[in-house]
Amino acid sequence: MKRVRSLFRLLKSRGNFEAGMTEELRFHIEQYKDDLTRSGISPEEAARRARTELGSLVNVKEDCRDARGLHLFDELLRELRYAARLLRKTPGFTATALATLAVCIGANLTIFAVMASVLLRPLPFPAPDRLVTVFNTYPKAGVDRDGSSLTNYYERRGRIPAFAAVAIYRHGTAITGEPGSTQREQVTRVSPDFFSTLGRSPAMGRAFTEEETTYETDGVAILADSYWRQRLNADPRVIGRRIRIDGLPRTVIGVLPADFRFLSSEARLFFPLSSRPEDRGPGGRHSGGNSIQMIARLKPGATLSQAQAQIDGQNGALEADDPEAKMMAAAGFRSLVVPLHADHVASIRSTVLLMQAGAFVLLLIGAVNLVNLLLIRANGRIKELAVRQALGASRRHLVSEALVETTLLTLAGGLLGIGVAAGGIRILAVLGADHLPLIAPLALDGLSALAALAGAIVLGAGLAAPIAWFNLRGHLGNGIQSESRGGTTSHAAQGLRHSFIVAQIALAVVLLAGAGLLGLSFERALAVSPGFRSDHILTGQIYLPWTDYPTWAAHSAFNERLLREMARQPGVSAAGLVNNVPFSGHSGKSAATVKGHVPRPGESPRGHYSYGVDGDYFTALGFTLREGRFLTADDSRRPERVCVVDEDFARYYWPHSIALGQRLFEGGEERRDAEAFTVVGVVGAVKQAGLTDDAAQGAIYYPYALRTDDSLFAVIRSSASPESQAGTLQKVVRQIDPDLPVNDLRSMETRIADSLIARRSPAVLAGLFSVIAVLLTAVGTYGVLSYAVALRRREIGIRMALGARPEQIRSQFFFLALRLLAAGTLLGVIGAWFAGQAMEAVLFQVAAFNAATLAGAAGILSVVSLAACLLPSHRAARISPMEALADQ
Amino acid sequence: MGKTADLLPGTLDMLILKAVSLKPLHGYGVLLRIRQISGEALEIPQGSLYPALYRLEHQDLLIAEWGQSDNNRKAKYYTLSAAGRRRLREETAGWNRSSAAISAALNATAEEV
Repeated sequence: MKRVRSLFRLLKSRGNFEAGMTEELRFHIEQYKDDLTRSGISPEEAARRARTELGSLVNVKEDCRDARGLHLFDELLRELRYAARLLRKTPGFTATALATLAVCIGANLTIFAVMASVLLRPLPFPAPDRLVTVFNTYPKAGVDRDGSSLTNYYERRGRIPAFAAVAIYRHGTAITGEPGSTQREQVTRVSPDFFSTLGRSPAMGRAFTEEETTYETDGVAILADSYWRQRLNADPRVIGRRIRIDGLPRTVIGVLPADFRFLSSEARLFFPLSSRPEDRGPGGRHSGGNSIQMIARLKPGATLSQAQAQIDGQNGALEADDPEAKMMAAAGFRSLVVPLHADHVASIRSTVLLMQAGAFVLLLIGAVNLVNLLLIRANGRIKELAVRQALGASRRHLVSEALVETTLLTLAGGLLGIGVAAGGIRILAVLGADHLPLIAPLALDGLSALAALAGAIVLGAGLAAPIAWFNLRGHLGNGIQSESRGGTTSHAAQGLRHSFIVAQIALAVVLLAGAGLLGLSFERALAVSPGFRSDHILTGQIYLPWTDYPTWAAHSAFNERLLREMARQPGVSAAGLVNNVPFSGHSGKSAATVKGHVPRPGESPRGHYSYGVDGDYFTALGFTLREGRFLTADDSRRPERVCVVDEDFARYYWPHSIALGQRLFEGGEERRDAEAFTVVGVVGAVKQAGLTDDAAQGAIYYPYALRTDDSLFAVIRSSASPESQAGTLQKVVRQIDPDLPVNDLRSMETRIADSLIARRSPAVLAGLFSVIAVLLTAVGTYGVLSYAVALRRREIGIRMALGARPEQIRSQFFFLALRLLAAGTLLGVIGAWFAGQAMEAVLFQVAAFNAATLAGAAGILSVVSLAACLLPSHRAARISPMEALADQ
Repeated sequence: MGKTADLLPGTLDMLILKAVSLKPLHGYGVLLRIRQISGEALEIPQGSLYPALYRLEHQDLLIAEWGQSDNNRKAKYYTLSAAGRRRLREETAGWNRSSAAISAALNATAEEV
């Protein structure tokens, strides 16, 4: 190490080194000369002897440099200079190569940055692989994921031996700030052991205590570092300070470390997850509703399967006294223990990997292109290399020369690629990367950049291999002759170039076909009707804190006034309220029991989307009415218990009878008749969570009064553009209650488009990759064919002199391109079949082997590569025999 | 000038270290000193002296510094580093061992066998 450092110092002061060496040797010679003179030899003779005895100064100096370990660097420097000169001499080639590398490496690095922050980085907690999440699932009822309930938490805490700690949390929002300048903040309500389960503790203050989990005692808050800095000016005495949340004071008891980040949550405030003792009992065991989530930390040595077995065991034991046990068992109830990280990114894991694979294929295409261009270039230098080999250039030297040249190229391309990736990440942000479940913020960090440069070096070595092989293949003599005769070309080199073109076409077909499948999936998803008229609708979320709106009466007064005011606004044709609009991402399912319904053998209970609606919700959203009537504002203000169901629900329960007048209950069992809801209308089914929902799960709409919620979505249909109504809605809400912000203001069409982001963005990216791939293939085909024509110029000239017609020459090259194209397409179709299989999970209503996409991919490539070969073959046909033969 | 002996391969470094260990020397001084301490018996080929000095410096056995020569000229002086001192000790011990063994072998008589 020390020696490397001294060498480095030496390299930095290379000029000093040389000057010092010259000085030292001159001193030697003069001293010796003086001594010789003193012993009586004539000064001229002394000078001569002094010089000759030291030997050739040049050699001595070279030996000294070697002794100092400098010769390798000198050689490298020389080769770098040589390579740089060669690259400068061919600016067209160099620019093409650098652009190719920059785009391909940049694309890979961009996707790699996503992969790093989604899959590779560990969760920012101690021993992150010990963290798990536990959630209830009722697959047979169509509810795959229902979170965990308070009861689950209190029953499991301290009773699962494999868990060192268990905690629960619930995401939500709160209104902060003073009246008139209120803001909505993301908050997370957590159990006292939440932070200790994660293995983190507040940087200042303390965590929540058990005593702070009741509604009477939970007036405390823990702040995220950024909230503390931005909203409280990083007050060092913030502990004990009071802040206003939802109109009530809360005491700050802690501030989290600056690097605290829980999954992709943006919550900056943490409150205790309070509950009443009766909410924690067995009755609420299955009331998770996917709002409360559970995390746990495995004890050292405990395994996931042990934890799963213990949870299963406890669930089994508890079922003994559970009145709902039979129904839950029929619904396929289980509580699953899953690693936290894997669970968090499960939804996009395959998409990210797919994108990385796509970027890698792009890199392969680019690399193949480069090899081809480099081979052509090397071929142009056959004579030079042959002469140099004949003059004694070592094989090692030729290899290292090729290596230095390609590595110089790829490193420069890599540096440019880092720039491309920096831009690419910005594009990804536009494409919605922020919505991804990132473990860490998406950024191009030093590590990824280093990885890119390391990759560039590896790529450089990979590219050098075929070039070095080509340069070394003993074309001594043979090489000198073949070019000067200009007749035949080396078959092996030509074969290599052609097989690379075939590989390139094949890879491009795979990429195009893959992009086609994604695009088609996106298009099919987009073509799905949401079930309502989605145009001209504005939606916005209002959150009514229970502190200010504790009763239905208060709620109702707010709702009434909002609906009345909004209906009065110009252009508004209908205004309604619902606790959750479709595509809000929060729609939960719950059980309902139809009076008189006898479960068929093997039938399991079903979860249904359930909503509370007020005002003209159905008209505002544009539902179709199948039977009966819609619910109106009056239904929330009358004692009759009525409801509306959708056609899926009606068809499922009453396939042969009339739905109107039927009765049903909320929850999993029949109750007293007084609690029954009477069906007064049947509406068309709408897509609830996303356009690609498959299961017709059925939905029930209750009057808002009977299903009050602190979350409220306003749905406004107007003749004007929805965006133009956003300001109006905000103003009206502020007039009613200056404390209330309106959140998540989006038109319904935007909401639907946003819900497809997980399909659209990959399709857009894959499309982008394909365009680049096709361009690269065109460049590659054009380059290789132009070269083939140039190489056989003389031969063509002779043939034309002997009477060949230009069309014959043209078709000869055209058929060459066609042969390469056919082989490449065939291989590509086979590759696309495999790629399609691998993509099956992310496709929607598209078969993995889609003939239309394949034909399209093959067609595009055919057109492009045949177009790319038109110019060269045309040029071949126009070769004048006289000129061609006069050459050289 | 008496009869000079050929330098045994591998001994140049050792001799340079020894010469420098007595007193800091410039390159030409090393040449003179080796001739002097070997009783004028060893003659260093001048062409291999400087590469050897540079090699030893590269191995951190010698430390080079610019200074003034006796006749007031700028000259590069070499001194022994701690590592160089250690190396000289080892090489001297190794040399003594093997030369004693070779002497013993060469002096062996028929009776001793």
